[in-house]
Amino acid sequence: MDSLTVPGNLDSLQAIRDFVLAAAEEAGIDERSAYKLSLAVDEIATNIIIYGYGGSATPGDVVVQADTEDRRLQIVLEDTSPPFDPFSRGEPSGLDAPLEERAIGGLGVYLAKRSVDEFRYEYVDGRNRNIFVVNRSTT
Amino acid sequence: MAFDVSTEQAGDIAVITLSGELDANAAGSFRSAVEEAAAAGPKRVVLVMDKLQFMASAGLRVLVFAKQKMGTSVDLFVVGARDAVLETIEMTGFHHSVIMMDEYDASEIENY
Repeated sequence: MDSLTVPGNLDSLQAIRDFVLAAAEEAGIDERSAYKLSLAVDEIATNIIIYGYGGSATPGDVVVQADTEDRRLQIVLEDTSPPFDPFSRGEPSGLDAPLEERAIGGLGVYLAKRSVDEFRYEYVDGRNRNIFVVNRSTT
Repeated sequence: MAFDVSTEQAGDIAVITLSGELDANAAGSFRSAVEEAAAAGPKRVVLVMDKLQFMASAGLRVLVFAKQKMGTSVDLFVVGARDAVLETIEMTGFHHSVIMMDEYDASEIENY
Protein backbone atom coordinates (compact mmCIF):
# COMPACT_ATOMS: atom_id res chain seq x y z
CA MET A 1 0.00 0.00 0.00
CA ASP A 2 1.33 3.43 -1.00
CA SER A 3 0.63 6.49 1.06
CA LEU A 4 1.16 10.22 0.98
CA THR A 5 1.06 12.62 3.93
CA VAL A 6 0.59 16.31 3.24
CA PRO A 7 -0.24 19.33 5.41
CA GLY A 8 -3.94 20.27 5.48
CA ASN A 9 -3.77 23.35 3.28
CA LEU A 10 -4.95 24.11 -0.25
CA ASP A 11 -1.44 23.99 -1.67
CA SER A 12 -1.55 20.23 -1.04
CA LEU A 13 -4.44 19.56 -3.46
CA GLN A 14 -2.17 19.26 -6.47
CA ALA A 15 0.04 16.65 -4.76
CA ILE A 16 -3.06 14.70 -3.68
CA ARG A 17 -4.41 14.59 -7.25
CA ASP A 18 -1.02 13.63 -8.66
CA PHE A 19 -0.77 10.79 -6.14
CA VAL A 20 -4.26 9.53 -6.99
CA LEU A 21 -3.66 9.70 -10.75
CA ALA A 22 -0.37 7.80 -10.39
CA ALA A 23 -2.11 5.09 -8.33
CA ALA A 24 -4.90 4.88 -10.92
CA GLU A 25 -2.42 4.55 -13.76
CA GLU A 26 -0.55 1.82 -11.91
CA ALA A 27 -3.85 -0.01 -11.34
CA GLY A 28 -4.69 0.21 -15.03
CA ILE A 29 -7.74 2.41 -14.49
CA ASP A 30 -8.91 4.09 -17.70
CA GLU A 31 -8.36 7.82 -18.13
CA ARG A 32 -11.98 8.88 -17.64
CA SER A 33 -12.44 6.87 -14.44
CA ALA A 34 -9.05 8.09 -13.18
CA TYR A 35 -10.06 11.71 -13.74
CA LYS A 36 -13.35 11.19 -11.92
CA LEU A 37 -11.58 9.50 -9.02
CA SER A 38 -9.13 12.41 -8.77
CA LEU A 39 -12.10 14.82 -8.83
CA ALA A 40 -13.91 12.92 -6.06
CA VAL A 41 -10.81 12.85 -3.84
CA ASP A 42 -10.05 16.51 -4.60
CA GLU A 43 -13.58 17.59 -3.60
CA ILE A 44 -13.48 15.79 -0.26
CA ALA A 45 -9.90 16.88 0.45
CA THR A 46 -10.97 20.48 -0.26
CA ASN A 47 -13.81 20.18 2.27
CA ILE A 48 -11.44 18.71 4.88
CA ILE A 49 -8.97 21.54 4.37
CA ILE A 50 -11.50 24.41 4.21
CA TYR A 51 -14.14 23.25 6.71
CA GLY A 52 -12.39 20.57 8.79
CA TYR A 53 -9.09 22.31 9.38
CA GLY A 54 -10.32 25.77 8.36
CA GLY A 55 -9.45 28.54 10.75
CA SER A 56 -6.76 26.51 12.49
CA ALA A 57 -3.36 28.17 12.49
CA THR A 58 -1.78 24.74 12.66
CA PRO A 59 -3.92 22.42 10.55
CA GLY A 60 -3.32 18.70 10.82
CA ASP A 61 -2.23 16.46 8.00
CA VAL A 62 -4.18 14.74 5.25
CA VAL A 63 -3.07 11.17 4.66
CA VAL A 64 -3.87 9.51 1.33
CA GLN A 65 -3.57 5.76 0.96
CA ALA A 66 -3.85 3.76 -2.23
CA ASP A 67 -4.54 0.06 -2.13
CA THR A 68 -4.79 -1.94 -5.33
CA GLU A 69 -6.67 -5.20 -5.10
CA ASP A 70 -7.59 -7.76 -7.73
CA ARG A 71 -10.73 -6.09 -8.86
CA ARG A 72 -10.52 -2.59 -7.51
CA LEU A 73 -8.47 0.40 -6.45
CA GLN A 74 -9.26 1.86 -3.05
CA ILE A 75 -8.19 5.35 -2.00
CA VAL A 76 -8.55 6.40 1.65
CA LEU A 77 -8.33 10.00 2.83
CA GLU A 78 -7.66 10.35 6.55
CA ASP A 79 -7.67 13.50 8.65
CA THR A 80 -7.85 14.50 12.30
CA SER A 81 -10.29 17.40 11.98
CA PRO A 82 -13.64 17.24 13.86
CA PRO A 83 -15.90 14.37 12.77
CA PHE A 84 -17.71 15.21 9.54
CA ASP A 85 -19.88 12.73 7.72
CA PRO A 86 -20.39 13.88 4.13
CA PHE A 87 -23.58 11.80 4.01
CA SER A 88 -25.11 13.92 6.79
CA ARG A 89 -25.94 16.64 4.29
CA GLY A 90 -28.76 16.16 1.83
CA GLU A 91 -28.42 16.36 -1.89
CA PRO A 92 -28.06 19.85 -3.28
CA SER A 93 -31.40 21.06 -4.59
CA GLY A 94 -32.09 22.91 -7.78
CA LEU A 95 -29.52 21.25 -10.02
CA ASP A 96 -31.70 22.33 -12.93
CA ALA A 97 -32.17 25.84 -11.57
CA PRO A 98 -30.56 28.77 -13.36
CA LEU A 99 -27.18 29.73 -11.93
CA GLU A 100 -28.36 33.10 -10.67
CA GLU A 101 -30.82 31.34 -8.36
CA ARG A 102 -28.43 28.75 -7.01
CA ALA A 103 -27.18 28.38 -3.50
CA ILE A 104 -23.44 27.96 -3.49
CA GLY A 105 -22.50 24.76 -1.75
CA GLY A 106 -23.01 21.03 -1.56
CA LEU A 107 -21.78 20.46 -5.10
CA GLY A 108 -18.45 18.95 -4.07
CA VAL A 109 -19.93 16.05 -2.09
CA TYR A 110 -22.54 15.55 -4.82
CA LEU A 111 -19.80 15.22 -7.44
CA ALA A 112 -17.69 12.97 -5.23
CA LYS A 113 -20.53 10.50 -4.70
CA ARG A 114 -21.24 10.28 -8.41
CA SER A 115 -17.67 10.04 -9.63
CA VAL A 116 -16.62 6.70 -8.11
CA ASP A 117 -18.10 3.21 -7.90
CA GLU A 118 -18.25 3.32 -4.12
CA PHE A 119 -17.87 6.10 -1.56
CA ARG A 120 -18.09 5.58 2.20
CA TYR A 121 -17.25 7.41 5.37
CA GLU A 122 -16.23 6.20 8.81
CA TYR A 123 -14.85 7.79 11.96
CA VAL A 124 -12.26 5.58 13.62
CA ASP A 125 -9.81 6.32 16.43
CA GLY A 126 -10.25 10.07 16.18
CA ARG A 127 -9.83 10.12 12.41
CA ASN A 128 -12.23 10.84 9.58
CA ARG A 129 -11.83 8.20 6.90
CA ASN A 130 -13.29 8.90 3.45
CA ILE A 131 -13.04 5.82 1.27
CA PHE A 132 -13.27 5.81 -2.53
CA VAL A 133 -13.40 2.66 -4.63
CA VAL A 134 -13.05 2.29 -8.39
CA ASN A 135 -13.53 -1.08 -10.04
CA ARG A 136 -10.75 -2.23 -12.34
CA SER A 137 -11.70 -3.52 -15.73
CA THR A 138 -11.41 -7.30 -15.70
CA THR A 139 -9.94 -7.80 -19.13
CA MET B 1 -0.15 21.72 -13.87
CA ALA B 2 -0.38 25.25 -12.60
CA PHE B 3 -3.52 27.25 -13.24
CA ASP B 4 -3.34 30.30 -15.47
CA VAL B 5 -6.03 32.80 -16.36
CA SER B 6 -5.94 35.76 -18.73
CA THR B 7 -8.61 38.27 -19.66
CA GLU B 8 -9.14 40.39 -22.73
CA GLN B 9 -11.89 42.78 -23.73
CA ALA B 10 -13.11 42.98 -27.30
CA GLY B 11 -15.85 45.58 -27.48
CA ASP B 12 -18.60 44.46 -25.15
CA ILE B 13 -17.29 40.89 -25.04
CA ALA B 14 -14.96 39.74 -22.27
CA VAL B 15 -12.85 36.69 -23.07
CA ILE B 16 -11.36 34.79 -20.13
CA THR B 17 -8.92 32.04 -21.07
CA LEU B 18 -8.26 29.30 -18.53
CA SER B 19 -5.50 26.71 -18.57
CA GLY B 20 -4.09 24.07 -16.25
CA GLU B 21 -5.91 22.81 -13.19
CA LEU B 22 -8.71 24.80 -11.58
CA ASP B 23 -9.05 23.58 -7.99
CA ALA B 24 -10.06 25.37 -4.78
CA ASN B 25 -6.55 26.78 -4.52
CA ALA B 26 -6.78 28.38 -7.96
CA ALA B 27 -10.42 29.51 -7.79
CA GLY B 28 -9.44 32.86 -6.24
CA SER B 29 -7.53 34.00 -9.32
CA PHE B 30 -10.39 32.91 -11.58
CA ARG B 31 -12.78 34.88 -9.39
CA SER B 32 -10.53 37.95 -9.59
CA ALA B 33 -10.49 37.66 -13.38
CA VAL B 34 -14.31 37.54 -13.40
CA GLU B 35 -14.49 40.62 -11.17
CA GLU B 36 -12.06 42.44 -13.43
CA ALA B 37 -14.10 41.50 -16.51
CA ALA B 38 -17.37 42.46 -14.80
CA ALA B 39 -16.05 45.93 -14.01
CA ALA B 40 -16.04 46.77 -17.72
CA GLY B 41 -19.74 45.91 -17.99
CA PRO B 42 -19.57 43.37 -20.83
CA LYS B 43 -22.67 42.07 -22.58
CA ARG B 44 -21.17 38.62 -23.08
CA VAL B 45 -18.52 36.67 -21.24
CA VAL B 46 -16.63 33.90 -23.00
CA LEU B 47 -14.69 31.32 -21.00
CA VAL B 48 -12.15 29.55 -23.19
CA MET B 49 -11.46 26.16 -21.62
CA ASP B 50 -9.71 24.05 -24.25
CA LYS B 51 -6.48 24.07 -22.22
CA LEU B 52 -8.23 23.49 -18.90
CA GLN B 53 -7.22 20.03 -17.69
CA PHE B 54 -9.13 19.87 -14.42
CA MET B 55 -12.05 21.71 -12.87
CA ALA B 56 -13.38 21.13 -9.36
CA SER B 57 -16.66 22.45 -7.96
CA ALA B 58 -14.73 25.52 -6.77
CA GLY B 59 -14.59 26.49 -10.45
CA LEU B 60 -18.33 25.93 -10.85
CA ARG B 61 -18.93 28.22 -7.90
CA VAL B 62 -17.07 30.99 -9.73
CA LEU B 63 -19.47 30.48 -12.67
CA VAL B 64 -22.37 30.99 -10.25
CA PHE B 65 -20.61 34.04 -8.89
CA ALA B 66 -20.12 35.39 -12.44
CA LYS B 67 -23.78 34.98 -13.31
CA GLN B 68 -24.91 36.56 -10.06
CA LYS B 69 -22.41 39.39 -10.30
CA MET B 70 -23.13 40.35 -13.90
CA GLY B 71 -26.85 39.72 -13.97
CA THR B 72 -29.07 37.50 -16.06
CA SER B 73 -28.84 39.66 -19.17
CA VAL B 74 -25.15 38.80 -19.60
CA ASP B 75 -24.69 35.51 -21.46
CA LEU B 76 -21.92 33.17 -20.37
CA PHE B 77 -20.26 31.06 -23.07
CA VAL B 78 -18.07 28.04 -22.38
CA VAL B 79 -15.83 27.22 -25.33
CA GLY B 80 -13.91 24.02 -26.01
CA ALA B 81 -14.29 22.30 -22.64
CA ARG B 82 -12.67 18.87 -22.66
CA ASP B 83 -14.84 15.81 -22.12
CA ALA B 84 -13.97 15.39 -18.44
CA VAL B 85 -14.71 19.03 -17.63
CA LEU B 86 -17.82 18.92 -19.79
CA GLU B 87 -19.08 15.91 -17.88
CA THR B 88 -18.79 17.81 -14.59
CA ILE B 89 -20.64 20.80 -16.05
CA GLU B 90 -23.42 18.50 -17.26
CA MET B 91 -23.59 16.40 -14.08
CA THR B 92 -24.34 19.54 -12.08
CA GLY B 93 -26.82 20.94 -14.60
CA PHE B 94 -24.70 24.00 -15.36
CA HIS B 95 -25.05 23.41 -19.10
CA HIS B 96 -28.63 24.70 -18.82
CA SER B 97 -27.37 28.11 -17.77
CA VAL B 98 -24.31 28.62 -19.94
CA ILE B 99 -23.97 28.37 -23.70
CA MET B 100 -21.66 25.53 -24.64
CA MET B 101 -19.59 25.82 -27.84
CA ASP B 102 -17.03 23.44 -29.29
CA GLU B 103 -14.97 26.19 -30.87
CA TYR B 104 -14.69 29.92 -30.58
CA ASP B 105 -17.12 31.38 -33.10
CA ALA B 106 -16.98 35.18 -32.92
CA SER B 107 -19.99 35.84 -35.13
CA GLU B 108 -22.18 33.33 -33.30
CA ILE B 109 -21.19 34.89 -29.97
CA GLU B 110 -21.82 38.42 -31.21
CA ASN B 111 -25.17 37.57 -32.71
CA TYR B 112 -26.43 35.33 -29.96
